Amino acid sequence: MSDLQIKIMAALKTVMDPDLHKNIVDLGFIKNMEVKGGQVKFDVELTTPACPVKEQLKSECSTKVQEIEGVDSVEVNMTANVRASEHSQPVLTGVKNIIAVASGKGGVGKSTVSTNMAIALSQTGATVGLMDGDIYGPSIPKMMGIPITPPKGGPNNKFFPHENHGIKVVSAAFLTEEGQPLMLRGPMLGGIITQFLQNVEWGELDYLVIDLPPGTGDVQLTLTQKAPLSGGVIVTTPQQISLIDAEKGVKMFEQVKVPVLGVVENMSYFVCDGCDKKHYLFQSGAGKSLAEQFKIPLLGEVPFIPDVVISGDNGVPITLSQPDSPATKAYQALAGQVAAQISINQAKGDSKVGAGFELAWKE
Amino acid sequence: MTDEAVKKNQPDGPSPKDIKQVDAKTLGISWSDGHESVYPVKLLREKCPCAHCIDEWSGEKKIKPGSIPDSIRPLKLNAVGLYALQFEWNDGHSTGLYPHNLLRSLCQCQECIAESVA
Repeated sequence: MSDLQIKIMAALKTVMDPDLHKNIVDLGFIKNMEVKGGQVKFDVELTTPACPVKEQLKSECSTKVQEIEGVDSVEVNMTANVRASEHSQPVLTGVKNIIAVASGKGGVGKSTVSTNMAIALSQTGATVGLMDGDIYGPSIPKMMGIPITPPKGGPNNKFFPHENHGIKVVSAAFLTEEGQPLMLRGPMLGGIITQFLQNVEWGELDYLVIDLPPGTGDVQLTLTQKAPLSGGVIVTTPQQISLIDAEKGVKMFEQVKVPVLGVVENMSYFVCDGCDKKHYLFQSGAGKSLAEQFKIPLLGEVPFIPDVVISGDNGVPITLSQPDSPATKAYQALAGQVAAQISINQAKGDSKVGAGFELAWKE
Repeated sequence: MTDEAVKKNQPDGPSPKDIKQVDAKTLGISWSDGHESVYPVKLLREKCPCAHCIDEWSGEKKIKPGSIPDSIRPLKLNAVGLYALQFEWNDGHSTGLYPHNLLRSLCQCQECIAESVA
């Protein structure tokens, strides 16, 4: 390493990742350093392309290196290599991180949040899948603009997810005629979810978002027992009454030791077209008080905008149809926060017995 | 520890870092908080929390004292999600899921036994 390179590394050592609380050199983010005369070029490889402080880190690196004597120009290239949450389960082997979106209560907008969060993650460059865990009321295909056709089968009972807007999707809606109800008793639900986990050819995914049905029943239990979840996100609406159920969602994850990444308050406020005032239709603060009560991050407050619903009905989610909408901004911030929380949890790196642990007893 | 506390996994409760067979009749667990637990496997079988072994409604124990033979051994154990262990026993029983908190409360190391007597 040349003297200049040593100086550059020393300068980069003063750049801290605000989420992981370590400097970016020790985190191993600096890659492909090239120094030719006074021209410096290197990559900063983050743990997620959805990193909320990407631009801030880039400019800090650039400024600090620029200040070194002998440096004429700096080229910082931001890349990402999503790290996999540790698991050795025989399911979902190509999937690096699994995010379950839950609420205790129905009608809070889990599917809308899941869909838009999945798209926001993919817009950052991540490969993303979306599993519709709501077997009785699947709504993801409609929101994603995917017509109901049977999934394409592969060898060994496997089948391929549908795909639209760059997102791979599985849903129980594809398993029945359009508009026909799936009438099943509880134990069958676990069977379908197990199929979704074991038999879908997801390929390589950075993030799999699972849209859970409301409640704390068969689907939730099967998933927490069989899928190596990286974390759960709780969706609530602002009124205090929805806290009763949202709390149960948090406690469900806690009891099965799935890290709670945070809470999202959906339909937070309404901005009418006549004035810019935020109208809190359902009062406010449930998301915040839930976050405070359980000491978990408040990941975002998504405004109540009719276009969110219209976009969902048209099959082009608002994160795609209206890039500048306040709702889109909220979803993008949410995706960044979720990805950051997963990276933070991974960085804690405490070695625990994983979900795929097995021990054969010897006589 | 009360029954209520045993049933619920605390969010920040300790998790197993290592699970190993100590000898033919003993299971060992090293916990994330540094504690080292040991368990005679017969005790674990006797404490099976499944609905066959403990009545779901009354909490009544269905395993008669002394009915578990000394020859009881696990054949295999595996993790259930991130929160529990499941044992496959050589008497054909395998329905019990042992949440981490239950396992921790059953610890038979000298320290924990002394504490439960006191």
